[in-house]
Amino acid sequence: MKNKYIFGGTIIIVFLGLMIYLFTQTNVQYESSFVKVMASGKTVKATGSWVKEKGYQLDKRNKTFSFYIQDENGNLMKVVYKGAMPNNFESSTSVVVTGKYSDGIFYATDILTKCPSKYQEQSVQQAGA
Amino acid sequence: MIGNVALTLALLSAVFSVIMYFLNYRGYKNTLAPARISFHISAIMVLAASALLLQAIMTHQYQYRYVYNYSGSGLPLGLLMSTFYAGQEGSFMLWTLFSSIVGLVLLDYTSKRGDLEQRVMMVYGICLIYLLVMVNPLLKSPFIYIWSQPDFIDLKHINSAYLTLPALQNFLFSDPQSGKQFIQVGPDLLAILKTNNVPLDKFIIEGRGLNPLLQNFWMQIHPPMLFVGFSMAAVPYSFAMAALIKDEYNEWVKQSLPWLLIGTMVLGFAIMLGGYWAYGVLGWGGYWGWDPVENSSLVPWLIAVASIHTMLIQKKTQDKSNNDKLNAGRFVKTNLILSIFVYILVLYSTFLTRSGILGDASVHSFVDPGMMVYLLLLIFLLFFGLLGLGLVFYRWKYLTENFSYEENILSRELALFTGSFALIASAIIILVGTSAPIFGQTVELKFYNELNLPIAIIIGTLNGLSIILKWKTTGKKELLNGIKVPMIISLLLTAIIFIISSFENFMLVILTFSSIFALVVNAEIVLKILRRKKNHAGAYIAHIGIAVFMVGVAATAGYTKNEQIDLVKGEKVELWGYQMNFAGYQPIEGGKKYVFNVEIKDGDDIKVAAPVMYIAEFNNSLMREPDILVGLTKDLYVAPVSYDEVNPSNGGQTVNMKKGDVIDYRGMKIEFTDFVLPEDMTAMMSGGKFKIGANLKVTYNGKTYNLEPFMENSGGQQEFHTAELQEADLKIDLANMNATGGEITIVLQSPSSENIPIQPPKEVLTVDVSIKPFISLVWLGVVVMIIGFVISASRRSKESLA
Repeated sequence: MKNKYIFGGTIIIVFLGLMIYLFTQTNVQYESSFVKVMASGKTVKATGSWVKEKGYQLDKRNKTFSFYIQDENGNLMKVVYKGAMPNNFESSTSVVVTGKYSDGIFYATDILTKCPSKYQEQSVQQAGA
Repeated sequence: MIGNVALTLALLSAVFSVIMYFLNYRGYKNTLAPARISFHISAIMVLAASALLLQAIMTHQYQYRYVYNYSGSGLPLGLLMSTFYAGQEGSFMLWTLFSSIVGLVLLDYTSKRGDLEQRVMMVYGICLIYLLVMVNPLLKSPFIYIWSQPDFIDLKHINSAYLTLPALQNFLFSDPQSGKQFIQVGPDLLAILKTNNVPLDKFIIEGRGLNPLLQNFWMQIHPPMLFVGFSMAAVPYSFAMAALIKDEYNEWVKQSLPWLLIGTMVLGFAIMLGGYWAYGVLGWGGYWGWDPVENSSLVPWLIAVASIHTMLIQKKTQDKSNNDKLNAGRFVKTNLILSIFVYILVLYSTFLTRSGILGDASVHSFVDPGMMVYLLLLIFLLFFGLLGLGLVFYRWKYLTENFSYEENILSRELALFTGSFALIASAIIILVGTSAPIFGQTVELKFYNELNLPIAIIIGTLNGLSIILKWKTTGKKELLNGIKVPMIISLLLTAIIFIISSFENFMLVILTFSSIFALVVNAEIVLKILRRKKNHAGAYIAHIGIAVFMVGVAATAGYTKNEQIDLVKGEKVELWGYQMNFAGYQPIEGGKKYVFNVEIKDGDDIKVAAPVMYIAEFNNSLMREPDILVGLTKDLYVAPVSYDEVNPSNGGQTVNMKKGDVIDYRGMKIEFTDFVLPEDMTAMMSGGKFKIGANLKVTYNGKTYNLEPFMENSGGQQEFHTAELQEADLKIDLANMNATGGEITIVLQSPSSENIPIQPPKEVLTVDVSIKPFISLVWLGVVVMIIGFVISASRRSKESLA
């Protein structure tokens, strides 16, 4: 066997093996159905939209930020996030929250807000309808 | 319009140039001059188009959709110019511009070296065509007029002098929700403007402006550098392809190496500038967040660094006295494949970040560019991949028969090769993690950190070891002699650091050790070399840089402390031995932003951290800018979270009560009779959702009432619920409960109390404070590494020009 194949090959094989193992340990699925989010109990990235009518709560005592999100089928879910309200939250069209669901609440460790690139256009269309 | 003509001409002449170069290489003698001329025409057209775009931006020509969408009046000169590449069209344009300029230099260089020009410029021309196709008027040209497609524009961006035109009234809309008014632009409106003789460049007088996140100093440097790096990635690809076309593998390494070094240096610097931007200005908390955009430029960089090392071996192992075609040196195949992959990975990075495929996965926002662009990005990626690897495959038999060697186990060749493979492994890992969103998955940051840590250790060790090892072969005794002193020094240093800092993560200790080892070995060499051959020190200086960088990474990764605290104005808060005091805020920049002064007292030394918050008009959202107190051994990082004016509770009285206690409060008797325990105790035991309350018997005016403030607990989250008795003007807040000790803490208040003087509201600033130890080493390491790269690149350039 050639030395370079032994060395280079070992590194690649060992790390590919480790990578596959860690991938299965750390991968997080995107999930747009809250029924599945609630059933899985695993860490997921739930995608939905903020329910504006229900507002949001900032709990100073526990330093949490909570709100309701809604999936495509209209299922509601309460989200509690340990941290501050993210930038752009109020103007977001969709929200991606990473975390786990347990006992009626989705505990998020991360929030990502998506803002429409042409929100003006959409608001006009809504107004016209 | 002229811009689009220029871009179209540039594309056509680039295609013509590639065809002419191809024909010339196939033996058609008189096609070389047309090839060169048309390449120059193409470059001149790109320069002209870029100048036109810049002019359109500087003179605020908002009739171009690109200028309207990304630029605005009132920006300072530097930022106004940087709106050139604030959007997708412009950044492709910038990439094209740099590629054309690099192409001109490349043409000059190759034209003096036999038939190299035809082969290299043919391939490089195809790379340029890719970019010119992307910016052509049908796809992502920045010169498209805003009326080409229906769109709504805020009325305040329109010159009000023309709004009274009766013909325009049909195009006006208003949104009752936001109260904003819009005008619908499109081909119909254009026709009306033309019939009414409205000057098209005076109709729209303001643009949407530049995203406030991009409005800072680094916007003027980071993106251009990144695109210079991207442009130069096509050069090693072209050289490798040129070698494969001719089936000769001696010369290309020497020729390609300086280009590769400069490109890698610029790209690496650009990546770390991005890291500094994220850390210092955007307030993302760290210099690296494994974000897809960061990752996708890091992956080609890692492969480029790997290829620098294996290319050096090939160059070093060529026998200079022997001009035989087969005397090409070691790792011929590896070098060809890596050089090709650097460019393919740049294209892959472009595909990931420009196609909209990562939509949900990144903090960077992506505009969905449409199906056509998506497909083209994919097609070009596959085209360049298949072209490059297909050619390698075509020559594979010849390559394996003639260029297969054995390396000695104790040789520098093998050590460098192994190091390169460690880099490749790291690149593969990052690539897989970053690509996961394509399959609806994503990985936690742990994935990157845990996998790259052992790789960093391997690289650190090899960084030192490869220099002790000699070329070809090393005696065991030589190795022991070389390794002894640095080993002892680094063991001692690591031990000292370990004792002082009480490292918890053992892997980080090993990383520190291996990095210090590399540092000592390289420093020793540099000291020796600097006396004799200064220009040979580049590689070692770069390696010192990377070792210092890794020590910094280990320290910040292992020791960063983070805490969110509330600072009430005038009330001092202790944190990690610092005394923090919120001293108030002031408006800056004419009231557009607010700066919040936090006095931080460390012993007798008082410094002021001044983070900034403001509401950006651009997207109507809160922007936060951190402030960093930079220190030699640690940075104190203060990121603003929120600012509130809190009305203090009006004279509430806090009372501790045990079961059975009775207190008097404003003529009322309040007795704590018992806890109200949940009906289902199992929920409480298992940590599920439950309520627990306190029963309070209140006697007022001879009547008895039962009040029950309670706490709701679900999954460790506690919510306290108040009880009120309106008749007695009483509000009872539950502040704490201790069911096992039989104790509660309640706060008694009168909701309508007017007799209590109103206190001024408290000003509360919430900040995220973190300590980042030795992050200065991260930046220092990068700077040292860049210096090493510069020295190295200048040496290899001289060699390749000789």
